[in-house]
Amino acid sequence: MSLEFKVKTLGGDLKRFVGLITDRERAIRKAPEKEINPTFAINENAKLLHPDYQKMIIADIIDHSGAESKTFVFKKADGSKAAYFRAGQYVSVLLKIGSSLVTRPYSICSSPNEALEGIVKITVRDVKDGFAAPYMLENFKIGDTVYISGPEGTFYYEPLRDAENVVAIAGGSGITPFLSMANAIKDGTEDFDLTILFGSRTVDNILFKKELDEIASECSKVKVVHVLSNEKKKGFENGFINAELIKKYAPEGKYSIFICGPEAMYRFAQKEIEKLDIEPKFVRRELLGVTKDVSSLPGYPEQAVGKVFEIKVIIGENEYSVQGKAEETILTAIERAGIPAPSRCRSGECGWCRSKLVSGTAYIPAENDSGRRFTDKEFNYIHPCASFPTSDIIIEVPGSFMQ
Amino acid sequence: MKEFDYIVVGSGCAGLSASLELAVNNRKVLLIEQHNIPGGCATGFVRGRFEFDPSLHELCGVGSEENPGFVREMFDKYGVDIEWNEVTDCFRVISTYSDGTPMDVTMPAGKEAFIDKMEYYVPGSKPSVNKFFDLIQNIEDGLAYISGDEIKVSEIIKRYVPMLRSGGYTTSVVLDALDMPQKAKDILSVYWSYLGVDMEKMSFLHYASMVNSYVKLSAYFPMHTSHEISVKMVERLRELGGTVMMGCRAEKFIFEGDKCVGVETNLGTFKAKFGVLANINPDIVHGKMIPDNLVPKREKKLSAARDRKIGGRMFTAYFGLNKTAEELGIKDYSIFFVGSSDSVKEYNSLKRISTNNYVIMLCYNIHNKGFSPEGTSVVSFTTMFTSSHDFNVLEETEYFKLKNMMAERFINILKDKAGIDISDAIEEVTVASPYTFARYLNAPEGGVYGFETTQWDGVIPRTIEMTMGLDYKIKHLYTIGTSGVRGDGYSSGYADGQILADRALVQFEKEGE
Repeated sequence: MSLEFKVKTLGGDLKRFVGLITDRERAIRKAPEKEINPTFAINENAKLLHPDYQKMIIADIIDHSGAESKTFVFKKADGSKAAYFRAGQYVSVLLKIGSSLVTRPYSICSSPNEALEGIVKITVRDVKDGFAAPYMLENFKIGDTVYISGPEGTFYYEPLRDAENVVAIAGGSGITPFLSMANAIKDGTEDFDLTILFGSRTVDNILFKKELDEIASECSKVKVVHVLSNEKKKGFENGFINAELIKKYAPEGKYSIFICGPEAMYRFAQKEIEKLDIEPKFVRRELLGVTKDVSSLPGYPEQAVGKVFEIKVIIGENEYSVQGKAEETILTAIERAGIPAPSRCRSGECGWCRSKLVSGTAYIPAENDSGRRFTDKEFNYIHPCASFPTSDIIIEVPGSFMQ
Repeated sequence: MKEFDYIVVGSGCAGLSASLELAVNNRKVLLIEQHNIPGGCATGFVRGRFEFDPSLHELCGVGSEENPGFVREMFDKYGVDIEWNEVTDCFRVISTYSDGTPMDVTMPAGKEAFIDKMEYYVPGSKPSVNKFFDLIQNIEDGLAYISGDEIKVSEIIKRYVPMLRSGGYTTSVVLDALDMPQKAKDILSVYWSYLGVDMEKMSFLHYASMVNSYVKLSAYFPMHTSHEISVKMVERLRELGGTVMMGCRAEKFIFEGDKCVGVETNLGTFKAKFGVLANINPDIVHGKMIPDNLVPKREKKLSAARDRKIGGRMFTAYFGLNKTAEELGIKDYSIFFVGSSDSVKEYNSLKRISTNNYVIMLCYNIHNKGFSPEGTSVVSFTTMFTSSHDFNVLEETEYFKLKNMMAERFINILKDKAGIDISDAIEEVTVASPYTFARYLNAPEGGVYGFETTQWDGVIPRTIEMTMGLDYKIKHLYTIGTSGVRGDGYSSGYADGQILADRALVQFEKEGE
């Protein structure tokens, strides 16, 4: 072999090689024998930003009687800061209702700055034939303990992506993320121009009217336009939020549109926005949840309609048998049985509930299937929050850390 | 309660390969993972219509079907079938040479091509670069020989003296001794960040193995993010009779006497007949997951000697763009934007946010057109922090601003140094900080490289230590992963898991143990 290499003398070089072993031994030998500290500041900070859960006390309840809503003021039970967040994000609230153990995502309506005081506020609107909302409105009282998740979701202003002007389209309690954004703009946490087109039925029905009008009068970057569908009144727009109305209030040049509101409003707004010739990246919507009428969706298997299926749930070594109705998500069936299962967005997007469908079939609405990873689709990993059973199934669900 | 032969805690790269190694040897394996997705860093996430890979730039050790590297051979052995894309260039680097002149070079994969291109950029470099590759070949052969079953000292002396004479030195000392022109050394120094320590601290043996692997076998990445690799490994483990539990967090290891017999988790206690492999940093295992009286003296001293020096805290920005790479003028898979050729200076500048000036841009679509929907592309930027200084105190109100500031810095570097402007094409953007990595990995300081592989704690001394049996005094419990014998990186993780699983099969199952 012709390769010759040297740094020093042969003896010197070989000594260095042997040093690979002796240096290590020396370094270890001369180090002190002390207790190992397993705690690292970055990891502790990461837990503050992304806790498994936050234990809160209901510190106050604000009744918005005209709007059939209440705002619950949560305060961190141990007096510490709540996890900081981006205005527009949501928390998932854990509820034990009868024998059910359910979660519900709610946009945070308070400002990120209030989290530094340990405060997180959500607003709950009464929903006819609802389950969790009526329970909270009727039963939550000051002093109760409530477990909520850390902040989640991607419905926030992102300066690198969004236009400097944002037109918000809000309906009913869909105002809450925008109230948080407006507060954040007012106190300097966020910096963009926000024009809120807020649809309500009547003047008396407007949620947070006083707060919104106050912010708008004090902060030149926030504008609020009230749009009434069921009432004609001077100083208010009337009808639905359509293309014409958006154009009327939209600023010159580029703008982003953010939408949060009930499904019907979203479907209407989507068609109107198409007329505006806006780059798709400038249109963002908050998650909708899943449909209540799954069997009407394209591709839904007819033979499943109205059926009840056997769902075998495996978590660790535990196995549970639960009944699942065809028109309800698999997650709903699991929750009704009181089984602790992870979930956050309940729209199929965040993937928190990602589970392995071991056998059987499920129907996943196309509009709720954008959050699954490519390989998950290939290997039958599903998001139970947006999957409906269409046969008896066996599903492996991850453990939950929500309590 | 089911009893398993082995429990593997954590499904990072090492946890996955360890599980499969045990399973193909017909052992009953339980793999537990605290998250709802496997892989640790090797995963994927979705934003809008894009799926992103959080960490993988390129995987070394895969090789082609005709000329497979150890990763491909390992996956073949396990029956895991990955769709690989080849990365045909090693890197493009935009920096300055030591003499202050601008550097913009693109180095191809393949030894001959690499040497020729180096001669093109640095005339007269060929003899020394040739010698460099002969030397790293000698090292590869030598390391293979001494890892074999039959080792003859006479054979080592006959064939592998160059390895012995270079192996004890740092990379900078060896490159100097090769009489390589400074500009060629400058170009070769680019790879230092892949190992997280500068050229004056990095063991030449470690560096040589890496360069050899990248240049000779080129690099690969999976078709559908590294989530594809991790899920396919998990699914194969299930096929082989393994049990997988997600959302299952190990709290403590349980012992009978001084023998580890299982693990306590949020989903209950699980027992292992032979032992446990923990894909967890040793400081966490020894610091809080086992009784203090069972922590070997040597582990405490080793931990003190390492002094919590964590390598590679990543800061990454992921962009989903509504234009194609072609439309944006992106031609390279990866571009290293480096402040200077002085790796010590660069290492030090990466200690602080204010001085950090080193970023790697990546565009997956260059080698995988279908990585994102038609008409779009995915670009990510990664830098590294070599100190936790700026992250030890969390300023919540500054946190999101910091993310945006870093992402903006990356965009501007690409614009200023390569003339590529992506700012109007951003449809999705997500930024991951060391906090983000800490959140998902629970690794100390969010570091993805484990403890720094400096000279005395490099890959070779760690390997020698293991071979001599000086370590591993906790009975029936091994820690595996980036702080293990093979150091950092995906392929090192896979190798480490396999090596330690094989070792466990022998050591844990000894009669009377």
